[in-house]
Formats: sequence, structure tokens, C-alpha cells
Amino acid sequence: MNAPDLLNQSAADMAAAVRAGLTTATALTHASLDRISATQPRVNAFTAVTVKRALQTAADLDARLANGDTTVQELPLLGVPFAVKNLFDVAGLTTLAGSKIERGKSVAAADAPLVARLHAAGAVLVGALNMDEYAYGFTTENSHEGATHNPHDLTRIAGGSSGGSAAAVAAGQVPLSLGSDTNGSIRVPASLCGTFGLKPTYGRLPRNGTYPFVASLDHLGGFARSALDLALMYDALQGYDSRDSGCVARRAEPTASELALGLNGMRIATLGGYFHDQAGPEARTAVARVAQALGAQQVVELPEVARARAAAFIIANSEGGSLHLPDLRSRAADFEPLSRDRFLAGTLLPAAWVHNAQRMRRWFALRAAELFQDFDVLLAPATPCVAPTIGTEWLHINAQRLPARASMGLLSQPISCIGLPVCAVPVWGCDPALPHLPLAVQIIAAPWREDRVLRVAHHLHMTGAASAPVASLG
Amino acid sequence: MTPTEIENYVDAAAAALNLPLSPEHRPGVLHYFALASGLADLVAAHPLGVTDDPAESFEPISLSRDAVNKRLT
Repeated sequence: MNAPDLLNQSAADMAAAVRAGLTTATALTHASLDRISATQPRVNAFTAVTVKRALQTAADLDARLANGDTTVQELPLLGVPFAVKNLFDVAGLTTLAGSKIERGKSVAAADAPLVARLHAAGAVLVGALNMDEYAYGFTTENSHEGATHNPHDLTRIAGGSSGGSAAAVAAGQVPLSLGSDTNGSIRVPASLCGTFGLKPTYGRLPRNGTYPFVASLDHLGGFARSALDLALMYDALQGYDSRDSGCVARRAEPTASELALGLNGMRIATLGGYFHDQAGPEARTAVARVAQALGAQQVVELPEVARARAAAFIIANSEGGSLHLPDLRSRAADFEPLSRDRFLAGTLLPAAWVHNAQRMRRWFALRAAELFQDFDVLLAPATPCVAPTIGTEWLHINAQRLPARASMGLLSQPISCIGLPVCAVPVWGCDPALPHLPLAVQIIAAPWREDRVLRVAHHLHMTGAASAPVASLG
Repeated sequence: MTPTEIENYVDAAAAALNLPLSPEHRPGVLHYFALASGLADLVAAHPLGVTDDPAESFEPISLSRDAVNKRLT
């Protein structure tokens, strides 16, 4: 198989091909760079392409292989191209976080720890990706860089805020990417672009070296076209770092080796109530299909989900706004028009509202912990509907008229509010009128049980209930 | 909060923070503040006791390698 064809396969297959001498890291890197050049004008996922660095990294890997370096043979992501949301520090690039304001700042002196860890695992960084400004959005309609287009329907949004990260994987530009998720920013674009997406437990992966949005809620994670690829990447990313105030001191708990365990008696239920009421018909269909594929017949409820979602909104609004207060004072006009007024309002929220929201959050986390005494995995839609067209202002969900940009996170926000690990798995053809569009289901587990969400995602992929094909962009 | 209460509060809080609100931004700020106010009411309507602590917690910091290793075991 030649490198361009191999680029449409899994990261695991790419690494195996390089390891076996069937291709080279350099050939794969060229294939990725060529694919980016050919599709970037239509998709607009990238804000920077690191051609020189990528080719040098690949050449170094190939030279080590040619010299018989056995350690390089063992690298889990040997020669695999990847890209990162442009809020990750990349040595030599300015960390934009989707903004105009950061453009004049110094370049990053070093890679973020997660970028460095993928590099150390043999992966090849090819660039930085588009996002909603300062991660405050669900659509990646970035006014400074232009909107990222959904590779499966170029008239539609990719979702956000990690829209470039999902679109690059769906477009076959890279098989792996990194993103961040505060209220749904990995799960929403994974749902709309039809990729697998992993948001690990809050506190699992170190966030230092990335531009923050809401320290209380920010998670880092990634995108791939298979659960196995996600597990390989996630295993390479794990490890405590005391420089992140939110990182919890836990040893790495590898998952890729656990995937073959399958469901193995896992107790799985569907979340009803709020998660049913706020889901459109296509989202309900996606969950029903996944539940059927898993033999999950029970429907259970978490209490007070709407209040938990409200708590997440208030915390994000207040912390996010406060973080940018100096720039909001001096150069508000330079902010993204789609989120500027929300940031401004967020600076003004009374402290009592935020304090109550943090108390509500803990109350809700305790209720979820109680539910996880009886179940191992819970299912819920990742988004209420499939990708709307770019510029959509309003959604109509079950006779409700909802603001589109704020509402794409209705179903993801309550889960990230309490830091649970989630794998978004894409299901297709749930909307009979739009059969070419995907919608993801959240596979949710108790804190620190990323192994369970990845095992279920892998089972769904292997049985064909979920898949993440490369978009046909020509 | 009524629309008038929101306007009064937003203008006073912005002044307290030395945050200028331009005429073109102010309507959007009022809109989003009203949205947050409604959500805050939703949270406030849920009864919480004095022992329902906030989710935020502070952990004393040590940069000692020994302390980190001890926690990881």
C-alpha cells in the first residue's frame, strides 16, 4: 500500500507499516502534507503547517530505523502524522488560541508536555488547527481565520471549539489530533465530523503549555478514527505533571492492552430524562442503536441535570471572562464578535452565583457517583442534532427554539461539569433526511475509568455499530 | 432580575471593574447577563445545605520530588 492510501488507514496500521519497512515516516509525512495542501482550501482546518519541522522529524526517525536503532522500532506511534488545536504550545509558533489578540505575542519556547509526549512516542507534528476564539464556542466559525468546514458536508459547521482538530481527522489530513474540552469542545466536533473523541477524566492529563479557558473545567484529549488509535494516543499522553494545578497525581493506567477484554459483563444503561428531552429525533436514534448494539436495556436518570448544566455555564462564563478582563478593558473590539459580549458579561457575574454553581457541581457529582455504584457505563447523545449549516442562528429541537451556538453543548456540558471520562463514538444515517451526516453517542464512565469507555467504543467499532470513515473530498 | 435591575447592575459592576462597555457591545452584554441570571436562578432554586461544599478545593503545593513520588505510590 502506498503512503497516500495508508494515510486513510488507522494510526496503528501506519506505525506497523513503518516498523515493517513497508513505508517510511518521510513518505507518510509527505502524504499528510500533500493531503493538507489539497484539502485545506475547502476544509480550513489548519492555521499553521509545520513543514520543515515535520520533514526533519520524519527524516530523523527514518535515519534511526536505517541505523538499526531498536528503540525506535518500539515507538507506538512511529511515523504517524498528527496536529494540535492552536491553543497547544508548539516550539517556534505563537500560541494563538484562535485569537487575533495573541498574534503579536512571542513564539512558544517549547512544546506543551502533551505535544512532546506524542513526539517522544514517534508521532510527527504537521501543524496547528483552527478553533473558536479562546475555546469559547461550539462551532469554529472563527472570524479571524474563517470557519472550519465539515469535511462530510462543506456547507456545515465542524463543531467546536476543537473544530479544526475533528475536521483534520475526518478529512484524512492526519489520523490523530489533540484538542481541549471544557463544556463539550471535543465531543461536539467529534459528533458533527464523525470521529472518535476522548475526553479523559478531569485532572488526568496535564494542561501546562496550553492556553487556558476555564481552569475549573478544562480537559485535554484527542481525536482519531478508531478507538484503538485513541487508546494508543491516550496511553502515550498519560503521566502526572505538578506544573498543572488541576493534574491529579496518579500513575499511568494503560488502556490499549485492555481493549480486547470487550464488554465482559459491564453494566450499561441509557441516560433518560434530560438527555432524552433535549435530544432531537436523530440523537435519540443514535443512542437507541448503540444501546441495542450493547444489549443495554435499562434507562436511568441523573437528577437535576439542567441545574448542573446551568452551573457549568456560570462557572465557564465567570472564569473565562475574568481571565480576559485586562484585554476586555483595553481592546474589546479585537475579540471574536461571536463570543465577545459573553466574555464581557461573564466578568460581571456576582461571586455568589459562581460559588453556588460550584456547590451545585459537587452535589451533582455525588449523585453521579451513586449511580455508578450500579452501572459501569452510561450512554447519552453528544449533540442534540447533526451539524447545522454554517451561520445557523437557531435550532429547533422538539418544538423548542434554541440559540444554535450555545445549544450544541446542551448534552455534553453536564458531563464535563463533573469531570467524567467520555468517549464519543460516531453513528451514521440517524437523520433520514441527512443520511451522510454523523452524530456521536457519549460513552460515559466513573472517574478514572477511561479503560471502560475505550473498551465499549472499541467493541462498537469492531461490530460496525460505530465508524469514522475519511470524508470523500477527492 | 428585571431588565431594569440588570441594566443598573451591569452598568454599576462594569464601572466597579473599570470595564468600559461601548454602545455597540452593551446590548449583547445585557442579553448574556440576563441569560446567566436565569441560569443562576435555576441553580439557586435547588436547596443546598451548609455542608454542601463547593467543588473547588485548594491543595497545598510541594515541589519536592519526594512528595510527588510518595503520592504516586
